[in-house]
This record gives sequence, structure tokens and C-alpha cells, in this order.
Amino acid sequence: MLKKFLVAFLLAALPAFCETGTTWVLQQSTLTYHMSHPIHQVYGVSHAAKGKGICNSAGCDFLIAAPVKSFDSGDSNRDLHMLEATRGAQFPMVIVRTRFPESAIASPTIYVNLDVQFAGQTAHYEHLPFHLTMEGNQVRISGTIPATCSDFKIVPPSFLTVPIKNQIPLQVEMTWRKS
Amino acid sequence: MSATQKRYGKATAFLAVLGVLAVSVFIPHSCRAQVVDATAPSINAPLPSWESSLDGASGQSAEQAQATPPQPAPTAPPSAPSLSSLGFPASQTQGSAQEQALLNKRTHMLKVHQTLGLITAIPMAAALFTGPQAKSKGRNGQVITEPTAANLDFHIALGSLTTGLYWTTAYYAIFAPKVPGVKPKGAIRLHRDLEWVHGPGMILTPVLGILAYEQENKGEKVHGAASLHGTAAVVTAMAYGVSIVAVSWPIHVKFWR
Repeated sequence: MLKKFLVAFLLAALPAFCETGTTWVLQQSTLTYHMSHPIHQVYGVSHAAKGKGICNSAGCDFLIAAPVKSFDSGDSNRDLHMLEATRGAQFPMVIVRTRFPESAIASPTIYVNLDVQFAGQTAHYEHLPFHLTMEGNQVRISGTIPATCSDFKIVPPSFLTVPIKNQIPLQVEMTWRKS
Repeated sequence: MSATQKRYGKATAFLAVLGVLAVSVFIPHSCRAQVVDATAPSINAPLPSWESSLDGASGQSAEQAQATPPQPAPTAPPSAPSLSSLGFPASQTQGSAQEQALLNKRTHMLKVHQTLGLITAIPMAAALFTGPQAKSKGRNGQVITEPTAANLDFHIALGSLTTGLYWTTAYYAIFAPKVPGVKPKGAIRLHRDLEWVHGPGMILTPVLGILAYEQENKGEKVHGAASLHGTAAVVTAMAYGVSIVAVSWPIHVKFWR
């Protein structure tokens, strides 16, 4: 009978030993793009991003996505123009994917390679530093994606015949929770 | 089987059940999430390909795919989360070529509106500048100096040009497609509100101008409502100028970087 008990115990305990995966869920985020023009400095902010990360023995796969129309610059006319220039109605989501080893989450700075899909194009960014702060079951991540209009084949919008700067860096502030 | 053996068997079975319960309690939370995820195909099920899941997000149809350059197809591992697992409603992730066409038309019309609006400001300023030269001078009881025909004609031509350009400019703003569900916010609100000043002003000013011209042609000093032609023109031009600045506000000059 003792043998049966041990077998039952081992069978029940098996999933605990074979599964080592961890799921991360994006709790809150602030994504801010900066657009520069000789007479305008524009910051567009979105808090509507959603994300998920799955870690297993092979590494961590993270996916973050936000609707393009969720970026708010404080001027509805400019936001609609941004939506048009970035083909935001045809390609309504900005999607970021990354993959890194799980051990990297423990370090204060993580260097990641990102695939960013935006405006119908995918751009690859390598070795971008992101700062991590662990707070209990949560981790705060901040960094900047050095996006440019040309990366996504966006024709820079112009005002008074002067186009905006090619650089449209995206500042990222995110809080992830381990679930 | 003796009674002692039966009791022993029951106790062992009880312990086995307890062990199973205990193990399930002590399994790490993340492992349980993994188990739950495994039952949820939207999260962990292997995707046909990353590209296909993203295509769903972009709503790229076969026709659009021909119109846009082919995208690089990054490969994601099967265990990677998919866009559908994030919980966005399909209406938010599906692209629309019709909406994009509407935005393109809107932007095109508003660009024409902007360009024509700036061009309109030139004859408008010139008409304001030539206004005093097109006006009779002298008070009642004194010798009245009539404007020269050239000055008068030039002012009338500038006024007519301004009026024509203004209403053409207005046409491109009024008939630009509206995007449903978007409330005006920011600098555009003042720009729009000022329509209610310079719009009526651009009706009133030419009408009063025509009245003033007729009175001058009759050899009369401009009087009555026609005497407000200049005032109406100044108020209209000021509202128009503020409207141009308002749509550009706030201005942060930064030429050096």
C-alpha cells in the first residue's frame, strides 16, 4: 500500500518538476513618441498597450502591442494626421516582439533585440538597453526605442513646407507582473 | 483481510489523497498558470506563423498586399505569445483600407486648405493696406478728396481675390471627410471657433464694400452701414490671423538642433 501511495504522490508531483515556465503580464505602461519640427515639439502618449511574456527553459518571449490611434498628443487634428501618415487605419497596431534569456530579468540593465511592426513595416533594433527595477512580484522596465520615419517608410509630415525630423524615438515605461 | 488491515488501507488512501492535494497546493503559481495556459489555445497553441498572426492584426487583404511592399517575415517560436492572446477586440486590430482612404482624402483636403489659407493671407493683408487709399477723405463741409480710379480698382481687385480664395479655402475645410467619434481637442478648437468670426466677416466685408463703392460713385460720402466696411475688414483679418497662429500653437522654436 505504501508503494501505491508513493506512486500516486510522484504522479501528482510530476507537473511541478517538469513545468518551469513563468508568465508575465503587462500591468501598466506609458509609451511616448517624440516628434520634432523647427517650430513644434510634440509628445504623443499612450497608456493602452497590452503585453504578455512567456518564459521557459528556452528563454523568454515577450509581445507588447498598442493601438496606433491610442497615442494622444493633445491635439485631435495632429493625431488624425499622424494616423494618416503612419497608415494607422490600415495597420492599426504597433507590435513589439523580443526574446531574451530568463536570467536577464535579474540584472538591472537588459540588452534586447526588438522586432517592431508598425505602419505595415517591420524594423529590427539590436542591443537596446532597458533598465529594470524589481519590486516584489513586479518589474519596472524603462528605455527608448530609437525609431525613425525611414525605418517604417513613413514620409515625414511637413508643416509650412518644412518636414519633421526623421527621428521619432519611443520612450517606454512599463510595469510587468509575474503571474 | 483483517479489520486492522482494512483500517490501515483506508488510512493509506486518505494519506494519498492528502498528498495529491498538498502537491497541488505547493506547485508554484507560475506552473499552474502554465497549465491553464496550455488549455487555452489562444495563448499557447502553436501559431501557423508569426507573420500570419500579424497579418490578422494589420488586416492586410490580398489587394492591399499588392499595393504595399512585402514585409520581412520575422519568425517567432511557437511558444511565443500571440496578438490574439492579449485581449484586444478584433475591431481594434483589424485594419481598414476604407478608413485609410478616408484619412488620406481628409489629409489631402486639409493640406490644400492650409496652403490656400496661407496664400489668401497675402491679398487680404494687401487689401487692408490699400483700404485707406480707396477711401474718400475730408469731413463734411470741407473739400472731399476722391480716391483715384486706379487705387479704387486695385483695392476692389484685391478684395475680390481675397473673397474668392477665402471661400475656396473654406470649401476644402468644410468638405474634408469627418472621422466619426473624434472630438476636436487642442489648438484646432480655437481655429474652428474663429470661423464664426471671420466667416461672417468675409460675407459682411464685401457687401459693405459694395455699398461703400456705390455711395462713392454717387458722389456721396460713405455713410450708414457702409461706413463699417473698414472696421469689418480689420476685425475679419485679425480673426483670420489669430486662426492661422492658433492652429500652429504651441510654437516651440528649435532651429538649432
